[in-house]
Amino acid sequence: MTAVDFDVVVVGAGRAGTAAAYKLAAEDFDVALVERAKQPGMKNVTGGVLYGQILADLVPEFPEEAPLERHVVEHNIKLLHGDAEVSIGYRDMDLLEEPNYTLMLGKFDRWFVDRAVDEGAVFVPETTVRDVTQARDHAVVHTDRENGDLACHAVIGADGVNTTVGRATGIQRTMRNPDMALSVKKVIDVGRDTINERFNLDSDEGAAYIYTGFPEGAPTIGYFIYTYDEYISVGAVGGLEVLRWLGDEGYAESGTPLYSLLEEFVELDTVRPYVQGESLQEYQGILLPELSYESLPDRYDRRIALVGDAAGLVLNKGYTFRGLDYGIKSGLLAAESAIACDREGNWEAFGRRYDQWLENSYVLQDMKQHRHLPEFLKNERMYGAYPGIATETLRGMYSAGSDAQGLTWKQAYRAFRNSDAGFLDLLKDGYRGLRSL
Amino acid sequence: MGVQDSLETVQWDVSEAAHITVDNDYCVTCEDKPCLHLCPAECFDYQADQKGGIYFAYEPCVECGACMVFCGNDPEKGAVSWSKSEGGKGVEFDFG
Ligand SMILES: Cc1cc2nc3c(=O)[nH]c(=O)nc-3n(C[C@H](O)[C@H](O)[C@H](O)COP(=O)(O)OP(=O)(O)OC[C@H]3O[C@@H](n4cnc5c(N)ncnc54)[C@H](O)[C@@H]3O)c2cc1C
Ligand code: SF4
Ligand code: SF4
Repeated sequence: MTAVDFDVVVVGAGRAGTAAAYKLAAEDFDVALVERAKQPGMKNVTGGVLYGQILADLVPEFPEEAPLERHVVEHNIKLLHGDAEVSIGYRDMDLLEEPNYTLMLGKFDRWFVDRAVDEGAVFVPETTVRDVTQARDHAVVHTDRENGDLACHAVIGADGVNTTVGRATGIQRTMRNPDMALSVKKVIDVGRDTINERFNLDSDEGAAYIYTGFPEGAPTIGYFIYTYDEYISVGAVGGLEVLRWLGDEGYAESGTPLYSLLEEFVELDTVRPYVQGESLQEYQGILLPELSYESLPDRYDRRIALVGDAAGLVLNKGYTFRGLDYGIKSGLLAAESAIACDREGNWEAFGRRYDQWLENSYVLQDMKQHRHLPEFLKNERMYGAYPGIATETLRGMYSAGSDAQGLTWKQAYRAFRNSDAGFLDLLKDGYRGLRSL
Repeated sequence: MGVQDSLETVQWDVSEAAHITVDNDYCVTCEDKPCLHLCPAECFDYQADQKGGIYFAYEPCVECGACMVFCGNDPEKGAVSWSKSEGGKGVEFDFG
């Protein structure tokens, strides 16, 4: 048997990889956590809200210890239509019972890696992995350091959306425009008191806002605002396929950058009050997997397992994103597979076992349940006709000056008749919506 | 605020070696040139005197990966060769 340097080498110190390294170190495995950045979090971008139950199972004291931003008590969905906005707000103090927080990865990932190192994981920063190969009885992680190859029993590829491990080993098929969304984001200094005032929050409470409908009728384009302690993040997300053709003159002519759409978005009358007086702290950009359950690529090959974004485990639910907790859960399942392989003295089943456990976990059950969502969210009517019908109906209800007359349902019917949506479309989309949500 | 102003808030430890390269031969037949509006860091610039019109600078890259997907992986394009910057180099976000 070839001598190994480590039992397991984890590639990438995001939350997915760090959770795996933490778990393995806590079980006294020799585990290396290889990261290309100088410090954890320096290369990483999220929105975002951490749905923290899975992390609380692993590190129960995390809400007290970790650098978190705000405890989320409120979610808002906003449909934009011209100067109007229809919003659905959900505020619930019972949400304080759940460990869901906004976070900044620059601070959070550093803390989490420190915790994994405390457990005994070996952190290897400033090291880019270039390839992974497998021999009969071991695997080798090839890095860009001199003499930097690491032999091990198993490799966990936790290296994010543009996974090197997945691509170099050929586990992941080539990603194309329909598989991916682009996101740009700004972190803005607004000040703690101003945030509390503007977003109607108390002390450490946090809120999340998701927007669609701008520019009118452009499918898959959405925006978000998340509240941090003293800052807010405001960003735009759009499917690459749509962005490629989204034009200056509106949907379908070529050429509007996503950052320009974000600039226009923050200037909208309904948005400006939240972000005005902005003092920009940082601009960021990153891809986001936009795969459905059916289109997910392979996740393993013998001694190699892909976890988190590297395996495409992100779900845009339309009203919220999931990816942070999916990453942690999948990292933990890979660690558990390694533990089981070690017990049996047979590492050949490492990848397959991980994949089976993932299939039965809430992560893939969630993605399976929502498997029609990505397709549903590509429907143009969701971004034009339907917000239009909603605003027109409400205008009829609330505007004294409007010429809308008669009963509300009649106004709604008229708004619907004036829109581009047909009756069959409405039935079909309603059915699809119910089926995918 | 233009994207160039936004990019002033970003830090890099720029590597000597380019982690992304563009083979302009492909750009000659590329009609729509999506790189010009899809790269969030304006690394691609239109310059008429360049072969295919594209001038590429890797220094301000924020390492999003988009150009690998929309050009490198596109069977009809393919000018972009994409890799990750060497250990410790490239973009350095403070906040994430
Ligand atoms: C705009 C936006 C909003 C989002 N909002 C939410 C949200 O509200 N809630 C939610 O749950 N999810 C959200 N997500 C999704 C979530 O951010 C991701 O799913 C999650 O961050 C993925 O974590 P990860 O650990 O798999 O990968 P990453 O965090 O990307 O970590 C990968 C790590 O691997 C390292 N690495 C990469 N390649 C190599 C290499 N070759 N060698 C060595 N190291 C390497 C990287 O430097 C990095 O540290 C959002 C994403 C975006 C972009
Ligand atoms: S998209 Fe690719 S092939 Fe087309 S012009 Fe840009 S770099 Fe060249
Ligand atoms: S990786 Fe992203 S930021 Fe870098 S050159 Fe490509 S598209 Fe531009």
